[in-house]
Amino acid sequence: MALRSAAFLAIGAVLLAATPLRAQNTPGQDKLVVDIWGGNFRDGANEAIAKEFTKRTGMQVEFITGGTIDRLTKAKINRDHPESDVTVTTSHVGALYVTEGLFEKLDMAKLPNAKDLFPVAIRSPYHIGLYSYVYTPAFRTDLMPAGYDIKSWKDLWASEVKGKLGLPDFDPSHIIIAAALLAGANAENWKVGIPLLEQLKPSIKAFYQSDATSQDLMKSGETPVQVLLSINAFHQMQQGIPIKIAIPKEGAVVGIDAIGIVHGTKHLDAAYQYLNVALDPEVQAKLCGIYRCGAMNEKAKLDPELAKLPGVFTTPEQWKTQAIVVDDATRAKLLPVWKDWFTENMMQ
Amino acid sequence: MIASARWRAAPARPRPFFLWLFLPSLAAALLFVAALCEVAQYAFRVFTPGSLEAGGFTLENFARLARPIYLSVLADTLLISLATALFTLLLSYPVAYAMVRAKSDFVRSLIMLLAVTPLFTGEIVRTYAWILVLGSNGFVNSVLKAAGLVNAPLTMLYTRFGVIVALVQFSMPVMIIILAAALAHVDRNCERAAANLGAGPAKVFRHVTLPLTLPGIVSGTVVIFAWTMSAFSTPQLVGGGKVLMISNLVYLQGLSSFNFPFAAVLSLLALAVAIGALGSMRPFVSRLERKAAVN
Repeated sequence: MALRSAAFLAIGAVLLAATPLRAQNTPGQDKLVVDIWGGNFRDGANEAIAKEFTKRTGMQVEFITGGTIDRLTKAKINRDHPESDVTVTTSHVGALYVTEGLFEKLDMAKLPNAKDLFPVAIRSPYHIGLYSYVYTPAFRTDLMPAGYDIKSWKDLWASEVKGKLGLPDFDPSHIIIAAALLAGANAENWKVGIPLLEQLKPSIKAFYQSDATSQDLMKSGETPVQVLLSINAFHQMQQGIPIKIAIPKEGAVVGIDAIGIVHGTKHLDAAYQYLNVALDPEVQAKLCGIYRCGAMNEKAKLDPELAKLPGVFTTPEQWKTQAIVVDDATRAKLLPVWKDWFTENMMQ
Repeated sequence: MIASARWRAAPARPRPFFLWLFLPSLAAALLFVAALCEVAQYAFRVFTPGSLEAGGFTLENFARLARPIYLSVLADTLLISLATALFTLLLSYPVAYAMVRAKSDFVRSLIMLLAVTPLFTGEIVRTYAWILVLGSNGFVNSVLKAAGLVNAPLTMLYTRFGVIVALVQFSMPVMIIILAAALAHVDRNCERAAANLGAGPAKVFRHVTLPLTLPGIVSGTVVIFAWTMSAFSTPQLVGGGKVLMISNLVYLQGLSSFNFPFAAVLSLLALAVAIGALGSMRPFVSRLERKAAVN
């Protein structure tokens, strides 16, 4: 009896081990698999890019979704049998994909639309910017004293902001870069800005952990001043929350979400076509209309209402005068150092 | 030889489910140990910023624990866990008592329903509710302002107080269930005997009921303490980065900085501290149990 039970268990264990937890991306499947965040990001990519791609090629697109780090970890584990053909991620995280050898080197000749991109879109020979946004100061006009405004990052140090500021806990790079610039340095020499950062401590009321908590803190008025993602602020302004987004004279810290082809994909040509469709001016305009972000293709004709929003850069001049861009390799390398310093010295 | 004969003479107890339970348990234990070993090996490796690969052997990750911030977070974690366990006990005992001793079935069911229902809502939902209650424009501050008791809102969010309040509410259903089980097992004849000998209700409670429920009190407190040591979402949301517990630091190091080696060190520290704290409670717990037995 016991022997038979053990045999059943052994057979069960073998069957379980032989069953893949997730279907692998086999060459026979005529689908392009795109790895991206869930929710609005997936829906927007499906609506703007995937439908157009399928229209042009007849090939279906399947999305697999997850958080930034989960997806990176999975890509690393599955490097020999990639689950996806194309990956969309934050550009400085893309730099980690590049150092780990997880992206194909791009042949720009296969991406005709790349010739119309802003130069900043070419993040590396392996990944290309898809759209941009900014992390910048913003405040609730109804909850701050009359006359308060933000013209410079330095205005975050004003006495009116004491005990009212919210910052992201997952990425302190924006305020660290801003402090470095105010102190006359740059991202690489960020330590020059440390005395300024320490002076900012009394102003910080809370650190937010996600887009959702950023929006909650702004909506409830707990932190009526924030360094926040422009896209979140646009969304809240549409809901009627009186928020003013500032583009400081030093510029706003640009974030770029980028796209790359997974190393070892069995659908290389289709992946190139997907990237080219994603960089098409009309597709870019549609995508940015959904995400409320800036296009990477200079020829994309954004809705005028969107184009006039702060941090949505549509001209080379705006990129030159309003954007603070840090190269991805530097950011990827320094972010853990910044994060450690920030946790040890600014939080609590 | 004698032992062998005795062994043979003893009838074998039927254990029909032994293999069905033993093998999965063994597999689960092996998986747990393997995961722990994987975490442990990371703790001894060099972190290279900008790379996901951990480098060679180092003890530097452990040396970093001596920095004040980490000691402070460790102290906060212990303090918050202890305070949560004690306040949960104090608030749960009367509820459990009322639930077990209520004469009306309806009242008993109602208390049970109210006490246990929060278990069926997620931790995040309950934590968000506390953000609404404790916020500057939240329920408590609105009531205080309307009553003219305060002019400016009290700061309750992003403080240890706020975190402990939310954790206590989160832990209460479990504590109530444990205490109710202990109270239900109290032999009412002991209480009646004490009353017959002239003890008033307060004396009966102090000298009979309370000592007889000590096992429940002790196990409930230990469970909530250990549970709170690993709390993550509540300190993350209600603490807003101004109150950090060890789990929050592990998250910040591992998932924000990709510093898996130091995140591994913090995880091992949390495990060691939890085991150490529970171990150091043991003599105290034994003394209490002995005292209860004597009473």
